[in-house]
Amino acid sequence: MKRISIPLFSIVMILFLLLAACAPIAGMFNTVTISIVYGSEKRAWLEPLVDQYNAGRYQTEDGAVIRVEITPMGSIESVDAILEGRIQPTVWSPASSVYIPVANMKWRQAHGSELVTGTPNDLVLSPVVIAMWESMARALGWPERAIGWADIAALATSEDGWAAYGYPEWGTFKFGHTHPGFSNSGIVSVIAETYAGAGKLRDLTLSDLENPDTQAFVEAVESGIIHYGSSTGFFAERMFERGPSYLSAAVLYENLVVEQESRRLAGESQQLPVVAIYPVEGTFWSNHPYVILNAPWVTEEQRSAAQDFENFLLDRPQQLKALEYGFRPADPSIDLTAPLDAQHGVDPGQPQTILEIPSAEVIAGIENLWEQVKKPVDLVVLIDASGSMQGDKIAAARSSLLQFVDLLSDRDRLQVILFNSELVTLTELSSLGEKRQDIRTRISGIIEGGNTRLYDAVDYAYAELERNADPDHIRAIVVLSDGDDTESDLTLDTLLGRIDIASLEGGSSVKLFTIAFGEDAARDVLVQLAEATGGQQYDSTMENILKVYREIATFF
Amino acid sequence: MVTTPRVNWVLFVLYSLVAISMTVAALVSPAFRAQAPAPLRDVILPAPKPVILNVLYSTEKDAWLAEVVAAFEASQVLVDGHPVQVEMEKMGSREMVLAVLDGTNRPDIISPASMLQIAILQDQSTAAFGAPLVNMADEELCPSVVTTPLVLVAWEERAQALWGNHPGEDFWRDFQTALVDPAGWSAFGHPEWGYVKFGHTDPLRSNSGFMTILLMTYDFHDRTSGLSAADITADPEYQSWFLDFERSISQFEYSTGPLMEKMIAYGPSTYDIAAVYEATAIEQAENATGRYGDLRIYYPPVTVWSDHPFCILNADWVTPEKNQAARLFLDYLQSPEVQQLALLRYGFRPTDPAIPLDQPGSPFNVYAPNGLQRDLSGLPSLQPTSGDVLNILLEFWSRNVAR
Repeated sequence: MKRISIPLFSIVMILFLLLAACAPIAGMFNTVTISIVYGSEKRAWLEPLVDQYNAGRYQTEDGAVIRVEITPMGSIESVDAILEGRIQPTVWSPASSVYIPVANMKWRQAHGSELVTGTPNDLVLSPVVIAMWESMARALGWPERAIGWADIAALATSEDGWAAYGYPEWGTFKFGHTHPGFSNSGIVSVIAETYAGAGKLRDLTLSDLENPDTQAFVEAVESGIIHYGSSTGFFAERMFERGPSYLSAAVLYENLVVEQESRRLAGESQQLPVVAIYPVEGTFWSNHPYVILNAPWVTEEQRSAAQDFENFLLDRPQQLKALEYGFRPADPSIDLTAPLDAQHGVDPGQPQTILEIPSAEVIAGIENLWEQVKKPVDLVVLIDASGSMQGDKIAAARSSLLQFVDLLSDRDRLQVILFNSELVTLTELSSLGEKRQDIRTRISGIIEGGNTRLYDAVDYAYAELERNADPDHIRAIVVLSDGDDTESDLTLDTLLGRIDIASLEGGSSVKLFTIAFGEDAARDVLVQLAEATGGQQYDSTMENILKVYREIATFF
Repeated sequence: MVTTPRVNWVLFVLYSLVAISMTVAALVSPAFRAQAPAPLRDVILPAPKPVILNVLYSTEKDAWLAEVVAAFEASQVLVDGHPVQVEMEKMGSREMVLAVLDGTNRPDIISPASMLQIAILQDQSTAAFGAPLVNMADEELCPSVVTTPLVLVAWEERAQALWGNHPGEDFWRDFQTALVDPAGWSAFGHPEWGYVKFGHTDPLRSNSGFMTILLMTYDFHDRTSGLSAADITADPEYQSWFLDFERSISQFEYSTGPLMEKMIAYGPSTYDIAAVYEATAIEQAENATGRYGDLRIYYPPVTVWSDHPFCILNADWVTPEKNQAARLFLDYLQSPEVQQLALLRYGFRPTDPAIPLDQPGSPFNVYAPNGLQRDLSGLPSLQPTSGDVLNILLEFWSRNVAR
C-alpha cells in the first residue's frame, strides 16, 4: 500500500480548515434585498431612514446583509400593479388600511388566498384633512365654526363661488382631490362625500349608493374639482407652488400641511399660510400599514429581513423623526408636540370623530358611482405625425394612444388632431361613448410624413376648446412631439402670450400636458408650454410611453 | 541493598485509565463545571446545553415578562447544572389554546389571560387526547400569578358626558342604548363627536373580548352564575339585544394590548370607550395624557377577573428537566420582588397578599383620581361557568358577528 505523503496531507487539511473558517465570513457577502412599494406622502420621512438602514448593513439571523429598495406609488395604483403582476414587492405600505379588504377581495378571486394576512402594524398616523388657505378658511367662519364635507359641496355647487362669502375677487371655488382609482386620499374623499350625501356616519350600504340624492350630492362636489391626480404628495406640491388662484382647497393629509407650514416658517416658501380643516362629519386616518405580502414571490428570508426593517422603523428614534415631519407617531408613548400645533396650521386635538370604513363591496360600489358622476374631461390630443416619427416610433405612438383612450370613460369628450405640415382632425370633440370603436380604427391607421407645425397645432387646439368645450368640464390638451417646430406661422412668444391670457382662469383653465418623445424633442419648449398652464411635461421613450399616458390619465 | 519493587504494568495502566476517566467525567459533568474556576470552564470545557423553556403568554403581560425573564436568566438558575433559557412567544389568549390543541405549538408553560381559557383547554384536551393537558385545580402546577379585573376605559370628557361620575344602575343596558342610537353623541349634547364608538377585542382570539361578551350576557339575564346554553341559543330577546350591541362595533382588535395602544395612538376620534384590563389601562394612562388627554376608568357592576394562570403542561414534550425548570420559573414569578415589580411598574394586582396595593409609588394611588379603586370587595364577581356553555357563547358570536 502506498503511503500518503505528509506534505500533501497537510495541505489538504489546511485547505479544509480555511474553508471551514470562511463559512461564517461568506455569510457576510450574502445579500437579501427587499423591495417596498409605499404611498408617496411619507417619502420625506422614509427615504433618509432607508439610506441610514442600508448604510448600517443590518443582517438577518443567518448573517445575510439586508438591502432595502423603495418605490413611491399611489396606494390604489400599487394594488392594481400587484394584482396585474406588473410589480412584485416584498412589502406594500399604502397610505391607509381602507383599501386592504378590497385588495384581499380581488386577490382572492385570482389566487384563492389572502394577500394581506393578520393585522399589519401602523408605521405612522395622519388624519385626512381638507387643506385650505387660512384666509379662505376664515371666510367660511373657521376656526369658531366647524366646517365639513357639506360646506365643500355647497361651495362647489354655488354659482357665486367666493362672492357668496364676500370675496368676489377669489372667483370660483377650486377644489381638488386625487384620482380614486390611483390614490388613497382620492378614494377616501369620495367615500366621505358619499357618507355626507347619504346623511350617515356609519353603516353605508349598497342601497345608499343607488339613492339619486346621494348620487346628485357626489356629482355636485365633484363638479368643483379642477382636475384629479395620481398622488397626494404631488397634489400638495402643486397647491403650495401655485397658490390660491390655482386651488382653494384640496384633500390632503395633515402631515403635508405641517410640512408646508414648516417650509413657510423657515422662509423656504413665500406662499400664504394654509390650515388643516378636520371635517365635522368625520374623516379617515391615513395609518400607513406595513404589509409583508402573503405572495408566492416573497421568500422566508425576505420575510424575516422585512420584519427587521419594520422593527427599525418602529424604534423610538425613527418614530421621533416621524413627528418632526408632521406625522403622529404610531408609538403611543410619544407625545403629540410641536410641530403638531396651531403655528403649523394643525390641531392635534382633532379629529373629533371618524367615519366607519365601509365593506369591500361598498367601496367597490363607490368606485363605480364615481366613474358615473365624476367631472368629465374635454380633451384634445395632438399627435406629431411628421416624417421623423417613421418606423417603430409611430407604431409605439399608435398603440399607446389606443390604450390611453381605453382609460377614458364614455362620458369624456375627445378630439384627436394629427400635425405635420398640415393639421388633420381625426375626430371632432364629442363623447367617447358614441365613437369608441371608430376612433380605435382611425388611430390604428395613422401614418407619418412632412414637417412639424407644433405651435400652430397647439394654438388650434386652444381655439377648438374655446369654441366647443363645456366650461364645466375639465379641459385639457395632450401633445406628443418628437422634434422642434419647423414650419409654424405662429412664433413661440405669441403662443405663450395666448396661453398666459387663457391661464388667468387659474385652476380651472385649460391644462396642457406635453410629451417629449425621444431624444430630439424640443424639451425646453414643451416644458415652458406645460408649466404656463399648470399642466405637466413628460420625457418619454418608446419603452415608457404607456406609463406616461397612464400618468396623464390620472388627471382626469 | 535495597531493591526497587517491580512495577506491575498491567495494574498501573488499569489504575491510570480509571483515574483519567473519572477526571474527564467529573470535568465534563455540568455539576462540576458549574463549580470550576471560570477560565477552566470556558476554555477547556464545552458549555452545557441549556434547558429551554417554551412559554406561550398573552400580550398584555409583554412588558412585565420581558423584564422578569431577563432577570430570571441573569440570576443563573440551574437544573442539574444546566442553565435555563426561556423562549417567550406572545399570542392572543384563545389563539394560544387553539394552537396547543391543534398541535401547531408545543409550549412547556401556557399563560393565557384567564382561567376561562384553561377551563376550555382542560375540557377540550381531555376530549381530544383522553387526558387533560392542564389541571386548573392544581395550585402548584397551575397557579394564578397576578390578577387584574376587566374595566371600561374612556376619555375623560366623553365619559363625563355619558356617565358622569357614576354610571346608572342599568350599566350595560344603558350603554347598549347609547351605542345603537343613530343619533350617537347628539343625544348627549355633542353632535361633533359622531356616533358612540366602543371597542372590545375579538372574543375568538382574545380573552378580554370574551370576558366582555360574557359579562354582557350575564348582565342581560341578571345573574352572576349558572349561565345555561338555552340562555344563549333559545332567547330571541337576548339575541337581538346582544347582536345590536355587537353590530355597533366597527372592528375587533386581535388582542388587548394593541386595542389599548390603538385607543391612545388614534385618540377619541376612533375609540370613545374600550373594554380592557385594569393593568392595561394603567400601563397607558400616562401616554394618554401626552396624546389626547386623561382617561377615566370604570368598573362594571359585576366584575370578571383576569387571573393570569401559568400552567405547566402535562405533555410528553415536557421532560423532567423542563418540568423542574418550569417550577423554578413559577417560583420566581411568585417571589416578593417580582410581585412588587408587577404592581409598581405594570399595575397588576399581586397574588401575594403580603404586598399591599396602598404603598408609595403604587399606581393605585397615582391614578385614584382617574377612577382606579383598590378595594373591589364590594363588587360581586362572575362565578365559574362550564367550558361547554362558554364554547356555545363563542360559537354564537362566531356565527353572527365575526367578520
